[in-house]
Order: sequence, then C-alpha cells, then structure tokens
Amino acid sequence: MSNALKLELPWVEKYRPSKLEDVTGNEETISRLKLISQDGNMPHLIISGLPGIGKTTSIHCLAHELLGDAYSNAVLELNASDDRGIDVVRNKIKQFAQKKVSLPQGRHKIIILDEADSMTPGAQQALRRTMEIYSNTTRFAFACNVSNKIIEPLQSRCAILRYTKLSDEEVLKRLLDIIKFEKVEYSNDGLEALIFTAEGDMRQAINNLQSTVAGFGFVNGENVFKIVDSPHPLIIKKMILEVVQNKDIDKSLFYLNGLWEKGYSAIDIASTSFKVVKNLYEIDESDRLEIMKEIGITHMRVLEGVGSYLQLNALIARIASLKY
Amino acid sequence: MVDIRDFFGNKKGGSAKTAPKTTKQTPAKRSKTIAISDDDEDDIVEVSKPKRAKTEGSAPTKSEHFTKKESKAPSTAPAPVKSTPKEASKPKKKSNDDDFVVSDDDFIDLDDEDDDFFAEELKELDNLPKDRTSTRTNTTVEDKPTPPPPAKSTKAAPQTKAKPAPKPSPKKKSPAPAKSSVKSSSGGGDVTALDVLAKITDADLPEDIPTGEGFNYHAFKARQNDLPVQTGAFEIPEGAPNCLTGLTIVFTGVLPNIPRDDAEGIAKKYGAKVTKSISSKTTVVVLGEEAGPSKVRKIKQLKIKAITEEGFIQLIKGMPEEGGDGAEAEKARARREEEERKAIEESQRMQEEEEAAAKKRDAAIKKAQNSGNYANSSKLKTDSEKLWTVRYAPTNISQICGNKSSVQKLQSWLESWPSKFGNRKPQKGESELRAVLIHGPPGIGKTTAAHLVAKSLGYDVLEKNASDVRSKGLLNSGVGNILNNTSVMGYFNPEAHATAENGAKFCLIMDEVDGMSGGDRGGVGQLASYCRTTQVPMILICNDKSLPKMRPFDRVTIDLPFRRPSAREMKSRLMTIALREKIKLDPNIIDQLVQATSNDIRQIINLLSTVSSTQKTINSENSKDISEAWKKNIALKPFDIIPRLLSGQNYSKVSQVPLFKKMEYYFDDHAFVPLMLQENYLNSKPVNGNTKTKHLELVAKAADSISQGDLVDKKIHSAEQQWSLMPLHAIMSTVRPASFVAGQVGGRINFTGWLGQNSKTGKYTRLLTELQYRSRLRTSTDQTEFRLEYIPLLAKKLLDPLVSQGADGIEETISILDHYYLSKTDWDFLLEFPIGEDSTAAKLKKVATATKSKFTRKYNSTSHPMSIYKPGLSTGVNGKTKKEKPDLDEAPEDDPEPEEDLIDE
Repeated sequence: MSNALKLELPWVEKYRPSKLEDVTGNEETISRLKLISQDGNMPHLIISGLPGIGKTTSIHCLAHELLGDAYSNAVLELNASDDRGIDVVRNKIKQFAQKKVSLPQGRHKIIILDEADSMTPGAQQALRRTMEIYSNTTRFAFACNVSNKIIEPLQSRCAILRYTKLSDEEVLKRLLDIIKFEKVEYSNDGLEALIFTAEGDMRQAINNLQSTVAGFGFVNGENVFKIVDSPHPLIIKKMILEVVQNKDIDKSLFYLNGLWEKGYSAIDIASTSFKVVKNLYEIDESDRLEIMKEIGITHMRVLEGVGSYLQLNALIARIASLKY
Repeated sequence: MVDIRDFFGNKKGGSAKTAPKTTKQTPAKRSKTIAISDDDEDDIVEVSKPKRAKTEGSAPTKSEHFTKKESKAPSTAPAPVKSTPKEASKPKKKSNDDDFVVSDDDFIDLDDEDDDFFAEELKELDNLPKDRTSTRTNTTVEDKPTPPPPAKSTKAAPQTKAKPAPKPSPKKKSPAPAKSSVKSSSGGGDVTALDVLAKITDADLPEDIPTGEGFNYHAFKARQNDLPVQTGAFEIPEGAPNCLTGLTIVFTGVLPNIPRDDAEGIAKKYGAKVTKSISSKTTVVVLGEEAGPSKVRKIKQLKIKAITEEGFIQLIKGMPEEGGDGAEAEKARARREEEERKAIEESQRMQEEEEAAAKKRDAAIKKAQNSGNYANSSKLKTDSEKLWTVRYAPTNISQICGNKSSVQKLQSWLESWPSKFGNRKPQKGESELRAVLIHGPPGIGKTTAAHLVAKSLGYDVLEKNASDVRSKGLLNSGVGNILNNTSVMGYFNPEAHATAENGAKFCLIMDEVDGMSGGDRGGVGQLASYCRTTQVPMILICNDKSLPKMRPFDRVTIDLPFRRPSAREMKSRLMTIALREKIKLDPNIIDQLVQATSNDIRQIINLLSTVSSTQKTINSENSKDISEAWKKNIALKPFDIIPRLLSGQNYSKVSQVPLFKKMEYYFDDHAFVPLMLQENYLNSKPVNGNTKTKHLELVAKAADSISQGDLVDKKIHSAEQQWSLMPLHAIMSTVRPASFVAGQVGGRINFTGWLGQNSKTGKYTRLLTELQYRSRLRTSTDQTEFRLEYIPLLAKKLLDPLVSQGADGIEETISILDHYYLSKTDWDFLLEFPIGEDSTAAKLKKVATATKSKFTRKYNSTSHPMSIYKPGLSTGVNGKTKKEKPDLDEAPEDDPEPEEDLIDE
C-alpha cells in the first residue's frame, strides 16, 4: 500500500523507453530504425498504427540516438496541441528547414509531426516541396493513427512503417518489468485482466496498472475490472451467443443480470455489446447487422433517458425473436 | 478553344519540312509488315501510296507526327506467309515515282514486330487443334511462320537464326495426358512452349453459355464465391527457373486447388506475363470452375488454348528452363537480357559520373575551406547522405520514366516560347496560350520533368510552391513583378554563351497549384490572369485538374496530362538502382511493387531504400509482405466508396471485406456516403433479387433502414449531439441498406441530389411563408392548407384570363392580385408552385411576350393595396438558379473540420 503513495510521475512517462532497443514489439520495424540510427541518413518517415503502441516513443528514441546532444537544436516537434495550420507550415517549419545547424556527417535536422492525421490537407500540401527542397538538411517524421488521412503526395515521399498491435506476451513482459521495479503485489488473473482490457495498447495497460495499484494496492482481476469500468466483453459475448446460437434466453438474461447487479450502466452494456457484435465472427454478417440494429436502437433509447433494466431485457428478447 | 495539337502542329510542320528524312522513313515503316509477303506487294504499294501522298502533300499535323510511332501497319497481312524472309528482303521496290524507297534497314523494326509475330504464332496455335487431320503435315511446311529473329542480330540477317517451327504434336490429344511424354520432352533442348502446350489436354469449355438478359451476374458471382476454396493443401510443383518466360497467361474462374492469386503469383514467378483479359496475344488460358461466360466466348472466338489447373501444373513441370526455345520465349529472353544490359550500362555510367562528381566535390570543399567559406557546404554533401529519391533523380530528360511524348511536348513548347512571345505583350484576341498546366498523380515526375526541361533549355527556374503564400496580394507584389524581368544569373554568367538566346531568360514554375487554399484567397484567379499576360514562360503543376477551383486555368493554359508510367517503363530504372545499391531485386516482382504503390516510382525507390537496410534480397518470397505493407492508404472519395458498398461480392460468405471495414467506408466521409448511397441504392441489381417481387422487397427493406438511419442522424446532428451514435448511423444508413440491395451497380454513380432538393425545399418554404403572410387579410388558413387549397385555384385564376383573353385579361388578373394583397413578383412565384399536371409552365408559354410586358407595365403604372407586412424575408428570393447547384468540392476543402459542417446542417 505504501508504494502507492510514492507516485511522482505517471508510470507511462516514467517507464517510457529512451532507447530504441527498449521499445517493445514490432521487432522488424524497430530493427530497421536501429540501423538508421547507426548509419544516419534517415529517410522521411510515416509511422502509423493504433494508439499506445510506441509510435511517438520510437521516433523520439530515433531522434535522440541520431542527434545526441544536438537534439534541442536540431529537432522541431509539433503535435496536435500546437498550431499547425498552413501559416505555421509556411513560416515556422520552412524557417526551421532553412536553418543552419552544424551536425556530424550523415545527420540531419528532424521535424517531428506527431498526430499528423489531424493536420489539414492544406497544411499537408504546403509541406510537399519543403520536404523535397530541404531534404539534404532536414528530414520529416510523421506519426499518425490512420495513414489514409495523410495526403497521397506525402505518402509517396515517405517510407511508410506500419506498427502492429502489440501481442499479449509483449505487453505482459513490459508489465512484469514495471511490476518488478515498483514492487507491486499482483495475482495472475489481475495481469490477465489488464492485458485483456488493454487490447494491445501498452499505454492503456500501464495506466490501468497504475490506477489499480493506486486505488487498491493489489492487482487482481476484480480490482482491474472495477478500475476499467466497462463490462467484460467476454461476458457480453457469452450473453449474445447464448441467445443467438443456443436460443437460451434464460441463460442470457442471467448474464445480463450479473452485469446489472455489478452496477454497470445500461449505456455501457449497450455500447460494449455493439462493439462485441461488430467483430463476432461466429454469427453471419447479415444476422450481425440485424442484431447491431437492435442493440443500436436500444442504445438510442437509453440515451434518450430510459436506461432501465427493462430496456436491456427487451433488447435480449428482441434479439431472441429475430429470425436467423 | 485552341487545341494543343494545333499549337504544336504548326511548329512540327515546319521542322518536318526542313528535315525531309523523317518523312521519308515513315511510309517505309508503315508498309513494313506487308512487305514480308511477295504476293501482297502490289497491293501494298497502292495502299501506302495515298498515305504517302498525304504525308507529303500537306505538312503533317502534329497529331500525326506523334501518333506515327504507335500507328500499326495498315493491316496485318492476312494471307498466310508463304515467302521466306530471303525473298522478302531482296531488292526493294520503288514505288512508281520519286524517292520512296523501302530500305533494308527500315524494314525490320523490332518494337512493331512484336505484335505481328505474336499474332502469327497464335494463328499457328489455333491451327493446332483444328487441323490435326492429315492436312496437318502439309501445312507445317507451308505455313511455317517466320521465326522472330532475336533482338540483336535482326538487322544483319533475319533468316540465319531461323528456328525450327514449333513441331505440331503428331499425336491426337488423348483425354488423359501422358505425363511421361511431357517429362521426356522437357529433357530435350528444343522444346517450345507450344510443344508442351500441345500435349496438355484442352479444358472442356462449358457448352451452355448463358447469355442475354436471363443471365444473372450476381447469382453467378455468388456461386463462384461459394465454391470451396482450398488453401495451401495442394502442393505446387517446382518448375525450372523462368520456365514460363514469354507466355501470356490468363486465369479465369475459380481454380479447384490453388487460390487464384497464388496461381498468378506462380506464373509471374516463372516469368510469364499474367493478364486479366483475353486478347489475341494470350498464349494460354487456365480455366477454372464457373469461368466467366464472356471469357469462354472469347476463348472460342479467338481459338486460344485453354487448359485446366492440372494442365497448368503440367506446363510448369514440363517447360524447360528459360522458357524453352519457343519464339516468344526467345524474344522475352532477349528483352530481359537487353534490360539487364541496359541496367548494367546505366549503373556503370552513373558510377563514372559519381566519381567525377566526387572529385569535383572534393575540389570544391578544398576551395571552400581555403577561402573559409562554408556557406555552400550543404550542396557538397556526399551522395550517401542524400535520400535515394534525390540521389537517383533523373539528371537528364531521357532518364524520365514514361510520359515521353508529354515531356517532348513540353520541351518543344518551351523551345518555341521566346520566338512566339518573347518580349511581346499580349495583343487583343491573341489565341496562343502562354502557360502550360501539367497535371497527374503524385510521384510520377511532373516537377522533375518541368525542372529538367527548363534547365536543358538554359532557363533559370523560379519556383513557387504550396509552401509559399500565394494569395492575391502577395502574388501581385511577388510574382507580378517578375513576369517581365530577365534573369540576373543568366545575364552575368559568362558561361551561358552556349545558350545565349535563352540565357537571360527564366521560367516560372508554379508547383502544386491545387494546393492553393486557406490563406491564398484570390490566388487562383490572379494566377490565371497572369497566365494570359506573362512575358516569361509559366509552367503550372497540379495533381487534379478536375477540381472546381482549377477551372479558371482551363482557358488560359495548355493542358499537358502526365500518366502513371507502366511497370515496363520503370523496370530498367529500378533495376539500375538495385544494381547500384547491390540489392538482389527479382525483375518479375517489380510488377507487384508497382501495383502496390499504384505506379508511383518515387514510392518504390523509397521502399527499396527502406527495405534494403535489413533485407538485401527482394524476390517472390517476401515481395507479398512488402507490397502489402506498402500499399498506400488513401481515404476514398464517395464516388469510389459507393461501388464498393454496393458490390455483391463483398457480402458473400467468403467476403474479403469484413464488417468493420464496411463501416470504415462510412467513416471515410460520413457526411456524404449515406447521402450518396441513398441516391444510388436503386440502381443496383441485388444478388438475391431474382424476381421483381423479391427485388421490391429488398428495396423496401433498404429504404426502411435508410429512414431509420435518418432518425439516428437526427439524434446526432440535432441539439442532442449524441455523437456516440455514429457507429449505429453507419450501420443503419449505409451498411445495412447496402447489404440488402448489394449486387451489380448499373450505370454511373450519381451525385447526391439531396443537397439540391433540400435547398429547393428551403426556398419554396420561404416563398410560401411570404405568400401566406401577404394574403393573410383575405385568407384564414395555415401554410399547408394555403399550398394545398388556395394555390391551385389562385394559379388558375391568375393565369387563365391572360391565356384566353390576352391583353384584355390583364385587368382581371390585377384585380385578383389586389384582392389578395399580392404583388407582381408574388404572381411569378405563385405560378412556380403547382407541379405535375397542374404545372403552369406550358400555359405560361401560351401567354404572348407582349401581353406579359404589358401586364408588367400596367401593374407598375397603377398603385396597389398592400398588407401591413414589410417584406423582410424576401431578400434574395429572386433568381431561381440560386443555390441549386451545390458547390460541394469547395466546401469540405475550405473547412478542415467536416463535423462542423454537419452541425450546421
């Protein structure tokens, strides 16, 4: 319990890797970045992938390893919190690209544009020639969630690296490291729950770990789900499959009751159900569409203010009465 | 409209006259194919004579000049080729008059030859199954096609390298192919593809080709999809390397064991060319189950060899290394060797250049160090520090991949610029265009081409691109002043003597014109006006010319489209780079890379540079992963999304597009996709809608879902702002309705009419409010009733007197207007309301114009009673056209946050 009080930094920051070799997952891509960090001559990069898998971290690591002490001079970092309109691109970024910084051979200034998918198309357009004209001295690194928000001409100028979701083992490994450092007491089902709820998002996993430790001091399944506060997707899945495949409405209602008793709100149950059904490949797509329609309508009613247990029961009943 | 061809034509015409040689050669080329046959010779002369006359008589137009290369011989000799090549090349005939001589050298032109020989081989191929009766032996001797001479020795003596013509198999085809014979033949050295093919059983072409309207494409596709597909269970045989070289293979239908993608991959791996549609060039078709009826018909029509999957495997097993000795294989090999040779030469040349440049650089660095001047050091970077795309950027015009003719046009345009417009202000009515607009997708070398051309002609380049502010004011102060300047660089540079006439010139390149947005208010219009008056050449570059904001340039610039270079055009360049960087790049997989990046050469170079840091070999094993990872991800436009949503295939059980992916289509443009779907969902022929009743049911379901989607939409976009319902809206408004009616989309995708209708509704509501307000003192009703009860009668009463009595009815009409406190403008508006049978348009036409103007005059000359209401609402109501055409492309462009748009709506 005592260590919970010593929290000075969010663990996400405290345990953010500072070297490329510490970055978890996406081994091939990271090894490529490592080579770049040794040889210099970084190409323009676009790193795309889901949140919390180390995109920004690896760009920062790369920039630090490439530039060392010159980092503060030779790196311009802009993220969505900065103004990145067309004017900034035309002034600040262009000026930075024109700026002279003496660097060792094979090193270039780096402009990091985090969350580049939120840049307006106009601003992206303005980057095009800047990237080419100053490529001898300046290289760009973009991080984004979906690469299709980056306009085609920029994609064409960049090496596109796609980060995949971290596997459960990779998340687990890192979590265990942190647990060791922080001397956290835990149970295995707690770790399982953390990994399950994170869905490959390292940041989420670490945040949840920290919150659980701060709130309860002990990491077990129950505590984690209390912190995460969304119905367990597995239970929802069982609930749906029970009524769809086995036609056992009583069993399904039993699961629902369990969730309701635990105090989950109707809105959480509905929206989680929606997400679960979306990727429920056990059911045919056309049937899934019908079920999603029913869930969605219930969701709508709940939003209108009738978030009662009865509504959810009606949902199950309506799903049961659909023809498959 | 000035046609660009005319523009270039004049010029070209001049040059053609000065150099008669080119004109002389062209007719020779044209008659080339026919000249092979002695029998046809007389005919040829006659055929080619008028052409020649035409060429000589009038100065050749530009289009002719440029299309010459592509233009095929008037007809590919239809008669069987009886002559030996020797006969063909004996002393050439002179046509009746002057200098029209077909010289030996002209007569074989390798490039053009290709097609004809293919055709010939095909004919041979066709004969195989047909003539396997006794006549066969005779025909082999007589019909022996001229073997295509290998590339290098062509000109010397085409006949020396004559290969034995493909030996027709003496055997009649046995129903079950004897494998042993195939194998044994592969051992022999002189196996041709045709030999092996001949031994492979023909696939049974389905007899009952369903045709006409009874054929349901979707049901068929669905059946095709439902066929079980086994993956990985089947062992694919190992063939000799490159054994399919020179063959053109088409896969159709579902192969029982090998997934089609894999089969195509295998064929490509062994060097075959895989195409999607059957043409006369196709060597063999691999026929699967449920092959498309049109393809089957085509096979029958063109008599192309069709084999089954089993046959395909036999083919791989049976073919010897390097594609055997068949003529096509020979040719393909030669082509490949040629490519490799070129790549090596090129890389050697680059090496030399590089060394020279390195020396220069070293010297320059020393010099700079001596003088203590480091300012230029960035230019002195070694190549290893540069990006590959910079390092391997083309350094002269011939290195640009593809778009040769466009580049040439640009060059000749720029060349002729000073003589046409130099130092001359535009005169009134001048039709010549002073600027050129290059447009095409990214990464194909538009900017590079513009710079190189300008440089090669000795122009100094001033470039403005999207990173510069280009608003109206700044253009005026920045660019406007330049347009009649001369280059100081050129003026003072003594080395520019060689290009003296251009040396003092410079040229303005406006890059990324379509990137003028946001802060560049008025820039487009200003730039367009400069195009008209400029005194230096202007080259404008953009990606998409069809955007509405590019419209001002339509009339003032010469349109110069750049297309994506084909894989073939890029191959040698990429091989050169791979060779220089010591990457093992399998030439056969370049096609794949090209496809993945949609023909973007810059992207491929970037790809190579990144991948090569860890992998030094790129071949068929890892190419799939690479191209998958590098596939460009671009947000689709609604016009591309709708066909995907409505494609029946995507909803079958083995669909490649999972549900979440379909929802992503919605999120690509959530404002327009639902509207566009609503506009187009009736144009689809549903997979399951075999009968009309069924179709109707499906449409009803879809309509139901769309309307429920609207309910959800209201929750999202009204005051409630329940954005968490977006996924539900995606399902209800887009995915679910599409799932009902998905099938084949007939006709083109229409743009949503909702926006136009919506604004019309708004307008009429406004008008109705006004009319009802004004007539308030006489009527006692609400808007709906006013529209339903009063307007039909009023319209009749107000119009009929004018129609029946002409000018005499004016009095009556005015009195009715006055009675209801309506004005003359209200009369106009009111008559717009009735629709359908009651529409007043036809009646209005019957009223003579004189009557109408008299009516107006009369009305204006008298005073009329008005109700108290002051028309505040009537502003901007006049003008029917207003807002009917929504300017949509502009809207999202200017507004980076589409959500805000929606809230407004």
